[in-house]
Amino acid sequence: MLQVLAPFYSNLSGIILLPLLGSLIILVIPNSRVRLIRGLTIWTSLITFLYSPSFWIRFENDTAKFQFVETIRWLPYPNINFYIGIDGISLFFVILTTFLTPICILVGFYSYKKEYMIAFFICESFPIAVFRPLDLLIFYVFLESVSIPMFIIIGVWGSRQRKIKAAYQFFLYTLMGSLFMLLAILFISIQAGTTDPQILLTTEFSERRQILLRIAFFASFSVKVPMVPVHIWLPEAHVEAPTAGSVILAGILSKLGTYGFLRFSIPMFPEATPHFTPFIYTPSVIAIIYTSLTTIRQIDLKKIIAYSSVAHMNFVTIGMFSLNIQGIEGSISLMLSHGPVPSALSSCVGALYDRHKTRIVKYYGGLVSTMPISPTIFLFSTSANMSLPGTSSFIGEFPILVGAFQRNSLVATLAALGMILGAAHSPWLYNRVVFGHFKPNFLLKFSDLNRREVIIFLPFIAGVIWMGVYPEVFLECMHTSVSNLVQHGKFD
Amino acid sequence: KNDYPPLVRNVGRPGLLSVLITILLVGCSPLAVANLVYNNLIIDNFTYFCQIFLLLSTASTMVMCLDYFKQESLNAFESIVLILLPTRSMLFMISAYDSIAMYLAIELQSLCFYVIAASKRDSEFSTEAGLKYLNLGAFSSGILLYGCSMIYGFTGVTNFEELAKILTGYEITLFGAQSSGIFMGILFIAVGFLFKITAVPFHMWAPDVYEGSPTTATASFSIAPKISILANMLRVFIYSSYDPTWQQLFFFRSIASMILGALAAMAQNKVKRLLAYSSIGHVGYLSIGFSCGTIEGIQSLLIGTFIYVLMTVNVFAMVLALRQQNRLIKYIADLGALAKTNPILAITLSIAMFSYAGIPPLAGFCSKFYLFFAALGCGAYLLALIGVVTSVISCFYYIRFVKIMYFDTPKTWILYKP
Repeated sequence: MLQVLAPFYSNLSGIILLPLLGSLIILVIPNSRVRLIRGLTIWTSLITFLYSPSFWIRFENDTAKFQFVETIRWLPYPNINFYIGIDGISLFFVILTTFLTPICILVGFYSYKKEYMIAFFICESFPIAVFRPLDLLIFYVFLESVSIPMFIIIGVWGSRQRKIKAAYQFFLYTLMGSLFMLLAILFISIQAGTTDPQILLTTEFSERRQILLRIAFFASFSVKVPMVPVHIWLPEAHVEAPTAGSVILAGILSKLGTYGFLRFSIPMFPEATPHFTPFIYTPSVIAIIYTSLTTIRQIDLKKIIAYSSVAHMNFVTIGMFSLNIQGIEGSISLMLSHGPVPSALSSCVGALYDRHKTRIVKYYGGLVSTMPISPTIFLFSTSANMSLPGTSSFIGEFPILVGAFQRNSLVATLAALGMILGAAHSPWLYNRVVFGHFKPNFLLKFSDLNRREVIIFLPFIAGVIWMGVYPEVFLECMHTSVSNLVQHGKFD
Repeated sequence: KNDYPPLVRNVGRPGLLSVLITILLVGCSPLAVANLVYNNLIIDNFTYFCQIFLLLSTASTMVMCLDYFKQESLNAFESIVLILLPTRSMLFMISAYDSIAMYLAIELQSLCFYVIAASKRDSEFSTEAGLKYLNLGAFSSGILLYGCSMIYGFTGVTNFEELAKILTGYEITLFGAQSSGIFMGILFIAVGFLFKITAVPFHMWAPDVYEGSPTTATASFSIAPKISILANMLRVFIYSSYDPTWQQLFFFRSIASMILGALAAMAQNKVKRLLAYSSIGHVGYLSIGFSCGTIEGIQSLLIGTFIYVLMTVNVFAMVLALRQQNRLIKYIADLGALAKTNPILAITLSIAMFSYAGIPPLAGFCSKFYLFFAALGCGAYLLALIGVVTSVISCFYYIRFVKIMYFDTPKTWILYKP
């Protein structure tokens, strides 16, 4: 038995199975033994996190092949296997996911019971599986599976009365889009006889079909990204979710769509992709400007963060579809940096909400005089959010603009406008919350961050600065894979 | 002499035992492939699979019923017998190889179900449901019989084997028909079958009957007959008269069922009515496999049936398990805060619901995935598209269960007997 399990454990799927195993163990522990449950969850998630960089260390930079490949036979007849592996693109997403999960668990460490922990473990292991599939159908299955625990998380532990609506919106929007992708996947698997993307890369579809399939994939991914007409679910879900839920939403789930674009849409339909660049650029630019403007007039702290995260994700799509190496690497690094940055912001807001039980900006003000540590961290994450040079977002956004400029200077100009607007709302928000008159009528408790919360923020800060100052370690791993991707499509 | 004891459970346990023994007997049967009784019955791998499956579902239905009879203090051991009898006739149905044998088996099965549906004599709903079920069932059997007789009149055979020989390459299109008699005959047979599986233009009885009959009866005639009639339909329409014309018929029917099932169930607030519409919708999904007529189509149909039956057994067991004071739940809203009062039931029910809706890591997804795969494989793009859209719509009401159980906090906390 152990010998059968050992190869799975030693390699990639161990990291998928570990959180699931943890959640199974927690399931049988009664709710009364809270300390045991907490200890078990935090250690399991930490072990998973510590386990994930081992791939990074063992990773070979000079090949575009998938590494740590594993295959398990699943279904006999449509040639669908449980087939996973990592390449330069997906490596850091896996690490990002394992990085964020212990933080999510720490955020809700004392307030929730075991169901919460289980939900988060499930939420961890499914995205890990999404980020490393070598099979379209497996990718689809795990992409969709995430929505069940997320639905529960938003609906049960969400904050206000609109949470049900938010959960519904989240669920139905994402389901609607992705079922069209399911049709496309089935069609591909009938057409080509396989769903292995590596084989599909060499399969030639007719151009007409490519465009149709491309639209079907777009329907799913654009909801997850989210692009502009279908972005409504994100602010709602983001606002109503508990703090850790927004960390997962902004940090991981919004990456699923862009990752899907990068992994499947761009390389698999190389002829359709150039047709689609205007179709991507236009909504992205609209989204960047529109959501940046929207943030200015929002009064809910979390909604502001949610809209600014929509703007960032649309930056990512612009970079991705500039189809050159700078653009794509920039978009990957922006995705990576966008993992910790809005998560840190959400955690800041979550900490404020825990103390004052409101998220309306009007009630805040002059926080700097009562709680000194929190505004410091808030300042840091705000400046990272508006991509100050030296932080990781700058490493992402700058190459994106360079890449986009080579492709289409108008788009780059408009996107840069979005950067200005983004920089406009962030300091303003910070100003309104932290400086100004202290409003003692509304704010009754004055407690600064406790030790647990400061610990939560430390890894965010470390990651952001590390990536902002010395991005080479991240870029060198993905370089081969990305250039392979670009060469495959012959875009340049 | 024995004080007239209620025999329901005493009869029920041997009944269950006999079903289990039958499973063993069917499983170890020496007759793997055979034609029996002058070609009236056939046993092959297909019937073998369907029969085992049918017996399993009957067994699980009976397990559900036993508790119900005790708590409802219904002293009607006949109803156990009346579950066993149609089981036997459904076994015959699955292996029927002749239109007369098929018709007789269907009739026996339906007769028993009419009785079960009306078995709760002191309830008006049950009586009404039994009456409706009887009327429409008898009507549909009449249509079926008429179809059989037309086929017999125009071909002179009733056996499926010979029918297949006659009807191969027959080109029974609507115009340019070589024999409108055969066309009408098969059309009538199809309509009769569609009545029986509550497909859309002929679904009128299903919601009322599902709601009115006692829940055990609903469970027994919403689960098992679907298997046997689908098996029968496969036998008739794929083997003995394989023709694209029928596939068109099933094509439209499956579209209509999916749409109606999805839209009508949205407005329901009673559990059993919702289940009725959802079963209509699911029959529509299953017919996707039918309307392809390819190997993948039929495979996916069988897989889909299996998963559907599994889920339905689960949901009915849940509905039977949730009792408040002395009655079963009627409205969906009664499920409020089940997650607090009975978390395990809540988790099970929500898994069943997500699976009905076809969300990936669950079985319902596999069935839908195979069905759409088959549909795309035979080029029925429209069917797959509509299937996708309706499954999103139906998701809305399936997750309403989850919402009510987990998110809502009702005014009255209803405690259920476990």
